[in-house]
Amino acid sequence: MDAAPATVGQSVPRAGLAEKATGAARYTADLKRPGMLYARLLRSPHPHARVTAIDTAPALRLAGVHAVLTHLDSPQARIDADLAVLDAAVRFVGDEVAAVAAESPAQAEDALAALRVQYERLPAVFDAEEALRPGAPAVHPGGNLVDGAPLRLERGDVQAGFTGAAHVFEGTFRTQEHAPMGMETRAALAEWEGDRLTVWKTSRSVHAHDRPMLARVCGIPLEHVRVICPNMGGGFGNKDEGRAAAIAALLARKAGRPVRLDYGRAEEFLGGRNRQASTNRIRIGVAADGAPVAIDLRSVMNAGAFVASGRNVVRRIGQGALYLYGCPNARFEGLAVYTNRPAGGSFRGLGAPLGHFALEVLADRIAAALRIDPLDYRLRFHVPPQGQPGRRSTPPGHALPDEPVEGGVPFSSNGLRDCLLAGAERIGWRERRRPNASATGARRRGLGVAMGIYKGGVGREAQADLRLTPQGRLHLSVGVVDVGQGSSTVLAQMAAEALQLPLERVDVTMADTAVTPPGHITAGSSTTFSTGSAVKQAAERLRNRLLERAAAHLGVSHVRQQGARFFAQGGPGGLAASATLDEVLGRLAEPLAEHATVTPGSTDAIVNAFAAHFAEVEVDLDTGRIRVLRYVAAHDSGRIVNPLLATSQVSGGVLQFLGIALREELLLDPASGVTLNPSFLEHKSPTLVDFPPVEVLFPGPPDP
Amino acid sequence: MSTQAPSRPQVALTLHVNGEEHTLRVEPRETLLDVLRERLDLTGAKPACDRGECGACAVLLDGQPINACHWLAVQAAGHAIVTIEGLAGQPDFRPLLEALVAADAGQCGYCTPGFAVAAYALLRAEPGAGEETLRWGLVGHTCRCNAYAGIMAAIRQAGAGPRRS
Repeated sequence: MDAAPATVGQSVPRAGLAEKATGAARYTADLKRPGMLYARLLRSPHPHARVTAIDTAPALRLAGVHAVLTHLDSPQARIDADLAVLDAAVRFVGDEVAAVAAESPAQAEDALAALRVQYERLPAVFDAEEALRPGAPAVHPGGNLVDGAPLRLERGDVQAGFTGAAHVFEGTFRTQEHAPMGMETRAALAEWEGDRLTVWKTSRSVHAHDRPMLARVCGIPLEHVRVICPNMGGGFGNKDEGRAAAIAALLARKAGRPVRLDYGRAEEFLGGRNRQASTNRIRIGVAADGAPVAIDLRSVMNAGAFVASGRNVVRRIGQGALYLYGCPNARFEGLAVYTNRPAGGSFRGLGAPLGHFALEVLADRIAAALRIDPLDYRLRFHVPPQGQPGRRSTPPGHALPDEPVEGGVPFSSNGLRDCLLAGAERIGWRERRRPNASATGARRRGLGVAMGIYKGGVGREAQADLRLTPQGRLHLSVGVVDVGQGSSTVLAQMAAEALQLPLERVDVTMADTAVTPPGHITAGSSTTFSTGSAVKQAAERLRNRLLERAAAHLGVSHVRQQGARFFAQGGPGGLAASATLDEVLGRLAEPLAEHATVTPGSTDAIVNAFAAHFAEVEVDLDTGRIRVLRYVAAHDSGRIVNPLLATSQVSGGVLQFLGIALREELLLDPASGVTLNPSFLEHKSPTLVDFPPVEVLFPGPPDP
Repeated sequence: MSTQAPSRPQVALTLHVNGEEHTLRVEPRETLLDVLRERLDLTGAKPACDRGECGACAVLLDGQPINACHWLAVQAAGHAIVTIEGLAGQPDFRPLLEALVAADAGQCGYCTPGFAVAAYALLRAEPGAGEETLRWGLVGHTCRCNAYAGIMAAIRQAGAGPRRS
């Protein structure tokens, strides 16, 4: 065996990509089980109604139809507090009303058409501000403001800050609803053996979410539920609610046969979870030199019919206003509001881009008013490495949050300055940026900059199992899902590095509740940091045991590992004695196994990620068309395990946000509540002729 | 379960797929994509948009890429169909496949087989094609992870390969 090359920091190819490219890799909707039936969903034609009667008999009489599920025979146990498996109330056009299972997809479609449903229509509301007014139609009992109160966060004294400000700027910024649009739609395949259930599904969290939800809804013990997430055709922070899986499981139990439920594309736009529309009113008070002295953001988010992860989304709208600029006084108020729109949920970045959009546009206006270059404004006033002014509120010795509000705590590292400088240099900011007044003609070009701050992924308990076999293979088992971002590759690199093994000796098992240790949800940009920390710790323990075995093998007290060879250090074993890894492993009676559970975080520093993005655009003043000519994204994301994959990851984020910034919107007809454009083309999702390649930079020193 | 209502009529169909003949009975309304995936278990062609917008279900029909979701299975009778599983076994597909992996031309990988089928056909139809021809030749394919730059790099590499050697 050759010496192991360093793997962490190397652009090794993505694991499994050849299998995906040749069609060999299976995604949920590619799976079949013997006797499997196909399920389809009946969706509400009304934005708000009560189902008063359903006649299922005509559907059940059709050839090949084996089961129908409605709210009348759904369990009382709920998926979420505001989400039943199926409900007598339907809350948006596209809400699930009933489900059928038949021997072919076509027979299932026929069965849907044969269901006879009577609705009592109810008044509906689509706009969040309207939904907050007294007398507005109640989407759920208890009012339309989620949790009955806004989220309020404050540092310092914002009122006093504005009183002392030399200038106050303000603006209101609206963002529209758009869809994550993973190429794979939601799917679930359920199979029962007695009272034991196995579900293959699109997922972000087989352990933490799906398994307990399915046990609860089906009324069976947790140990009787196995959830597996095969390859995922795009996660993007989405695919985290469980209705498809719950319905497939209940249909399968009724029919006594396995059932697969796949969403169609239009269904995914409606019954998936989209990024919520928001209205963000922001005020910034500055001193005479432009330094922010008070920042106040109030955001109203249209949660749609179900809140899903909407609370986390709202929380993250505030992060930029609270923390991106050094400022003693900052306040955020966020409201999530139920309406009769398709449900929102978590989608890449959650609320962060919404709040950052308002903040960064207003920062440009402040800079322009004070005649400061927008890059210089950010270089001068971004939050410094020592953090925000003020007093720490987290007790000493306690882990600090990675969505902080308090001042008085430094960052573990803060690469904003490096990102701003590297990005500016790459795009040629100093040489090429010209005042607009000097431009002529219908097409004008310009450069722009914005920066960002995001969670660092701390605080999620993570586990990893490692097993080194006598045959020389390292088996890594983790419960988290590789949603497509490449964590299977990155975690294998981390394990290989710690054990100085070649990467091709590492096998990875993920996201199967029967064979992997518990894993957190794949969310909040946390997997490499949290599960990666567990992998690293387990690998280091395993390495210590391996060194002990090698020393025993050589009859010495210590050994030194160099690649795949161990050299005796001291002791009676002789100076030249050495053994290969395979010789040491070959003597094992059984595999060496190690486990680690960690909750990564820091008690004395905030772990955050940072970015500065630069764009060169051309605007046609006659038509309004905006062309992006260049896009530079400089990121401080800590130590980059795999630059190739990290570059792809950032490129994907940029494309989806160019989408919402310039093109994409889900349109809803305010008269009928019907979503007008549930398709790729009409949602205007970017193709490969729409935007230039993203130039991705990772400047600056790594986070320790 | 009671099945009083009669089944819908089915028709006999012979499909030539990846060099093999398959004789089936299908309903006339079944799409080529559904038949390939659910009857023949060839799941490399992916459903994604359901309406011919995204290319994830691309297969070759007499050498030309088509969206299998937009064809009825019965329309494909008498034509030679090659799916990504068929291409995967062809030596002349290897350079493109290797270039796709090296350029990280897929993240979640769901759109990748469709891109691979179309890129293979494009490189054969237009050897030596320039950047714009290649780019516009794949405009009917959607990737949400933004592997677009990697896909273009891979196609340039695969297209340049044979001429260079």
